[in-house]
Amino acid sequence: MRNFTITIILAALPWIGTAQTISGKVVDGSTKAPLPGASVIVKNKAIGTNTDIDGLFVLNGVSIDDVLIFSSVGFQTQELKVGSNTTFNVVLQEDVEALDEVVVVGYGTQSKKEITGAVSVISSESIEAIKPTRIEQALQGQVAGVNITSQSGSPGGGLDIRIRGISTNGDNRPLILVDGNVIEELSVINPNDVASVSVLKDASAGIYGTRASNGVILITTKQGRRASPLTVEYNAYIGLQQTTRKLATLNATEYALITNEAHAAAGQALPYTNISDLGQGTDWQDAVFQLAPIHNQDVSLRGGGKKSTYSAGFSSFGQEGIVGGDKASFKRITGRLNYGIELLNKINLKASLLYSGTARQTLPENAIGSLLYNAVNMSPIIPLRDSEGNLSRALNMPIEVVNPLAQDRASLNETQADRLSGVFGIKYQPTDKISVEANYQWNYTEVLGRYFSPIVDFGEPGVSDKVFDNLTVRVFDNPFDIYRDYTVDAFINYTDTFFEKHNLKLTLGNSVFRTFAEGFGATGVGMPEITNIDQANLNDAEQIVPKFINVSNELFDSRLLSYFARLQYDYNGKYILSAVLRRDASSNFGPDNSVGYFPSASLGWIASEEKFLQESAFVDFAKLRLSYGILGNDRIGAFRYVSLLTGEGVYVFDNALKYGIASGAVANPSIKWEQQEAKNIGLDLRFLKYFDLTVDYFERKTIDLLLQVQTSRINGVTAPGAANPIANAGSIENSGIEFSLGYDRKFNDDFRLGLNFNAAKLKNKVTSVENQLGYEIGGSFGIGGLEGPARMEVGFPMGYFYGFKTDGIFQNQAEVDAHASYQKIGPSASPGDLRYVDIDMDGMITEDDRINLGDPIPDLTMGLNLSFDYKNFDFQSYFFASLGFEIVRNYERNNPLTNRTAYVMDRWTGPGSTNSAPRVTTAPTTNTLFSDFYIEDGSFVRAQNMQLGYTINDPSAAFEKLRFYLSVNNLFTLTRYEGFDPTTSTGSPLGGGFDQGFYPNPRTFSLGVNVKF
Amino acid sequence: MKRFKIRKLILLTLLAVFACSDDFVVVESKNQNTENYFNTAEEYELALIGAYDLLQSTYLNVMLGEIASDNTLAGGENATDVPGIQQVDDMIHTTFNQQLRDIWGWMFSGVNRANYILEFQDKTDFEGRINIIAQARFLRAYYYFELVKWFGDVPLVVDKRINFGQQFEVDRTPTSEVYAQIETDLLFAIENLPVQQQNVGKVTKGAAQALLGKAYLYQEKFGQAADVLDTLIASGNYSLIEDYSTLFENTNENNSESIFEVQYTDLEGASFDCLQCSEGNVAVGFQGVRSYSGPLFESGFSFNVPTEETYNAFDEDDLRRDYTILNIELFAEQNADYNNGAGVTYGEGFEHTGYFNRKYLPRKGDSNIGDPNLTNPNNYRSIRYADVLLMAAEAHNRKTTPDDAQALVYINQVRERAFGDNTHNLTVGGTTLTQAIWDERRLELVGEGHRFFDLVRTGQAKDKIDGFVENKHELFPIPSIEIELTGNRWDQNPGY
Repeated sequence: MRNFTITIILAALPWIGTAQTISGKVVDGSTKAPLPGASVIVKNKAIGTNTDIDGLFVLNGVSIDDVLIFSSVGFQTQELKVGSNTTFNVVLQEDVEALDEVVVVGYGTQSKKEITGAVSVISSESIEAIKPTRIEQALQGQVAGVNITSQSGSPGGGLDIRIRGISTNGDNRPLILVDGNVIEELSVINPNDVASVSVLKDASAGIYGTRASNGVILITTKQGRRASPLTVEYNAYIGLQQTTRKLATLNATEYALITNEAHAAAGQALPYTNISDLGQGTDWQDAVFQLAPIHNQDVSLRGGGKKSTYSAGFSSFGQEGIVGGDKASFKRITGRLNYGIELLNKINLKASLLYSGTARQTLPENAIGSLLYNAVNMSPIIPLRDSEGNLSRALNMPIEVVNPLAQDRASLNETQADRLSGVFGIKYQPTDKISVEANYQWNYTEVLGRYFSPIVDFGEPGVSDKVFDNLTVRVFDNPFDIYRDYTVDAFINYTDTFFEKHNLKLTLGNSVFRTFAEGFGATGVGMPEITNIDQANLNDAEQIVPKFINVSNELFDSRLLSYFARLQYDYNGKYILSAVLRRDASSNFGPDNSVGYFPSASLGWIASEEKFLQESAFVDFAKLRLSYGILGNDRIGAFRYVSLLTGEGVYVFDNALKYGIASGAVANPSIKWEQQEAKNIGLDLRFLKYFDLTVDYFERKTIDLLLQVQTSRINGVTAPGAANPIANAGSIENSGIEFSLGYDRKFNDDFRLGLNFNAAKLKNKVTSVENQLGYEIGGSFGIGGLEGPARMEVGFPMGYFYGFKTDGIFQNQAEVDAHASYQKIGPSASPGDLRYVDIDMDGMITEDDRINLGDPIPDLTMGLNLSFDYKNFDFQSYFFASLGFEIVRNYERNNPLTNRTAYVMDRWTGPGSTNSAPRVTTAPTTNTLFSDFYIEDGSFVRAQNMQLGYTINDPSAAFEKLRFYLSVNNLFTLTRYEGFDPTTSTGSPLGGGFDQGFYPNPRTFSLGVNVKF
Repeated sequence: MKRFKIRKLILLTLLAVFACSDDFVVVESKNQNTENYFNTAEEYELALIGAYDLLQSTYLNVMLGEIASDNTLAGGENATDVPGIQQVDDMIHTTFNQQLRDIWGWMFSGVNRANYILEFQDKTDFEGRINIIAQARFLRAYYYFELVKWFGDVPLVVDKRINFGQQFEVDRTPTSEVYAQIETDLLFAIENLPVQQQNVGKVTKGAAQALLGKAYLYQEKFGQAADVLDTLIASGNYSLIEDYSTLFENTNENNSESIFEVQYTDLEGASFDCLQCSEGNVAVGFQGVRSYSGPLFESGFSFNVPTEETYNAFDEDDLRRDYTILNIELFAEQNADYNNGAGVTYGEGFEHTGYFNRKYLPRKGDSNIGDPNLTNPNNYRSIRYADVLLMAAEAHNRKTTPDDAQALVYINQVRERAFGDNTHNLTVGGTTLTQAIWDERRLELVGEGHRFFDLVRTGQAKDKIDGFVENKHELFPIPSIEIELTGNRWDQNPGY
């Protein structure tokens, strides 16, 4: 120990010999502005300084043989030999992909060079280029192996992030930390506040133990820099959105012809006798789609004093829907304050506060009877409005189908969320080797729901014949929930170097996490009429029913206590080892099963440091990575191991409701940690100066999968308020290859070209389901169809589609007679009906003849960025693609009187007419059963963003930088899928790919400005 | 020195860091643990409400009990509207039937909730405890009676819940043993329940006697059935409502004829995802006239439509007919002036017969909070005094030493009310009387869910129900998925 101390003291002594004093200035290559806080150090010596506020520096004791290293976060590092120079004017070029870039990896940072795990980083520049309305969109197509799907294209609609596939039929969300704080609802973050996003994809996430099995996303917000002047940035854009697609539904004339044919086929009277007068009829989609505005403004300030940093940001965002306008809107305001100070010598404090307020209004979406479903199925013969100018009623339409405009008008709801988040941290660095850090992070969220049900009848006047009818009483549902969580981390970092070449870093710490929530609120029955949701007031109700009667208002209380230790070692920056052990205790399991140990380790070899590559003209940098670890998962919600009285026990005595108690979800006391074995091998290569290549192969095997399993109903699982239990009852494997290639070259001062391509191939397979059945079911198709059109089953991908396979259409009765009987599945077949394959060849089509018809998990996802700067112009474009997945077309009501899409024009009309679309008839057929006839290839390529900017750099002006840009989001999508949008999915692992009229992601044209003062 | 300080600091920090203990993750929910309940009289009462709750899910048993019989057809929108119901109507149901699985699951949920109370019946003593225990035992008997009617041998679990894991340990118990438990429970209930409860809707001594009589009848223990039903009748606590036409109106709920009634309300609804969660009578909306506009009624989904044969089975003079079955064409004629001459309009669903189950149709003027079709307040008259009289008549007629005179006294009370005079009274005896009683049961109880089981019990099913296969359709199949989920140890019912 003493030896090392001496070494360091020696090293710290000023170099005597041929010492001289040098000085100079460091400027930012892109803005030519002075670069404060840049580091200037002498290579292999402990001499160094930072530039001051004007970018100036002075350094003593430098010899002519020394090499100076100029660096600053976000800039390419430069090395210069001192020689005879005494003044240095250094221009540092911005570098988003710099290897020295500091990457947040959890309880500390690492330089990109040192990282041995599969970690991807997205910089603020990329985020700026993509112009996401939500930060998740910045990940789509940017990071190989990360797949983003939107639950809906409606404003404020949720996005699902899946890192390296799907590992459970439950919660697949990665752990998301914003400045160390758990924030999983990312709609509250203003994307312009984000400085960088790190995605931990493999066992390197192991430092987060139990919470890491779905990957970890670390988001850092923009911080100020010490000794830098106040910088003010203002960004704004305004845009217009439109739908990318309308489905080709039949017009009134076509509809009448088809409907008549269907009636004739069943020997019924023709409903439309005078077809020639019908013309085009009503285009319901035209009636519901509209142009909708979107706008955003934000301002941010940052800077720093000698010992402090500060930054602040405020933003306001508003978006209306392309269906529903302000009835499907999202508004967000955010405010952010970050402050850091070196309080006493070697003690640093940091504090930040984040506020966000959101308000979202929604229409019925992606469900049977939702607004777009109705727009597609409503008869084109029904006019928008009747002769008296009232919105038409959906006469003779099935009970789910109503006038979508009337539905829009009756839709009165809003969800408001106010969130306050804080971070307070203290870091003490007694020596260069040791730092002790403690952080306290918390979130407080209030969610207020305002859901109003007016009195409506969508069908016959005064007749309740629609499922949405409400003829007698207005009801106002007014829940109010409070969510809280906090994380307290404390850890020690010890860094040291032994024998010059052995670098060691030790981290030891613990973390405490608690998330808990309470529900309040009430339902008001007998409300007065309102026209706007703002007018709804619970006090106006005739009767107020509280939300919680005889059950506690506790929604959940989950806690986690963790200890972790990490060892990072490298030999001469060439061979790198990292090992982590984490112990977690979770309150979601019973006391006997609460503790889990999660080890992980990774190795790195920087081959380019080896002699045989050092001289290579081709390879500039090469690193081989290997990682292995056990990760955990406890995301099943609180208290599933214990039987609680949270069920519904309500009955009527004396003609009044009486609220009793009953047990809730069926308990399973033996549930324990789900475990995942994660393996990764990867290669990072920088070659020919401008190319960056990363390739990874991974395997993730999850065992003891925490599933909500079917169990016998004699356990009481279908009692009101009860549910199936959770059990460790399955295993699943994900494996794949990820590839990304970047090219970035500045040819001269006027021209820069950047290209980035990434791709990920994924294979997902369920390897066991231990519930006696060997499968779990999900999803629903049509109305009253067979249970479980989606399955989780051994040997198949998660959530694969399970139905009948067709091999064409019966062309004549002889074919019907020769085929297996339909007796067990419905009416017997006629010519023109779909021909189902008798898989088990027993001469009968039965439920057992259903097979795998595809799955909603893409085999291959890709992203492409192309950008160039020419003089003051900059251009970015950004594409992504998902290939090899299926979507179920489930937006058709398939009723004799509802409208249809254009393919029905090519239906079977007689022997030999077609072998693809079945006949039309009002008679019952088996054609509406779930089969591959309803499954389409969802593969697509989407131009997500194109942006052209022009920058004015005028040092004499009041601003430092002024940029205007024109941007188009979602310009086009190449796909054979016929529904509204192949990029949307409910995100549910089981039953996610059923399109019941997804609200499409809009195409947005926007005009924006960035100003920097 | 400095290093020592640092060490001390590190030590302190480490201490602070590791001072957290695993106690932090030992969390008690603010919600009551099921194992720590039953500490006060009120807690027993609240658990009892939970046990009653599943009675409301028996709407499906009632509706399907009719559809399975010769009384009605499935109806609905089209031939594939709720396939499980359509199949039962046509006697082509298989081991894969969602509605049968619902009945299975809901009845066992009821059994579990009753058993939950009984598991802890001795934990806390208080005044009125025995009353609560007796109600719980009645409910268990009620749910098990439904289970044996539908499925025959079913797992019998007494005074404990079937917790997760235990489904692999229970076997199907022979029907006779289940009946023995039903009898024991009901005898206890009779012993310990009051004639009248403080709250309308709670089980009474009379209800227990009536259900016991019915359980005896199903087992063909006619002597015992006659005894218990005689006692009930002799108590004088119940009587027939004079005017049959008002019997099923919502204003006439819990009347003197109602021995046991399942209570529903229009104040709290549910969705199609959880039909059993509704506090309303779901069957009522299902049975409503499709797209109906007219007086008295509201519309519904046109399921469970009576056949013409059922309608014609009534004598022209039978006052019950027009209040049992709605003849929609006739009704439209009679109300042609409705709504300023617009008249009655309605849609025609699948298997439209023109007849509807008037006893349980949606009535105008209900709040229907939650869903207009799923939250109808019509109480289900589970056991009526008329049913008791006919059961007693049958018991006397079929017991070892028949007492047809007594049987005639009982059946003629029912007929006198039906025809408003005594000129239609019967005077027959022997097997003629037996058949007359059975026919009378049908007419008196159409639409109330008894017909299928009466046909099976009396051996008439094969002759009366199209598609009925002997030694198969007497019982419904245990859903095959339930057999799998309990470990593939149970035999399926014969024929499936």
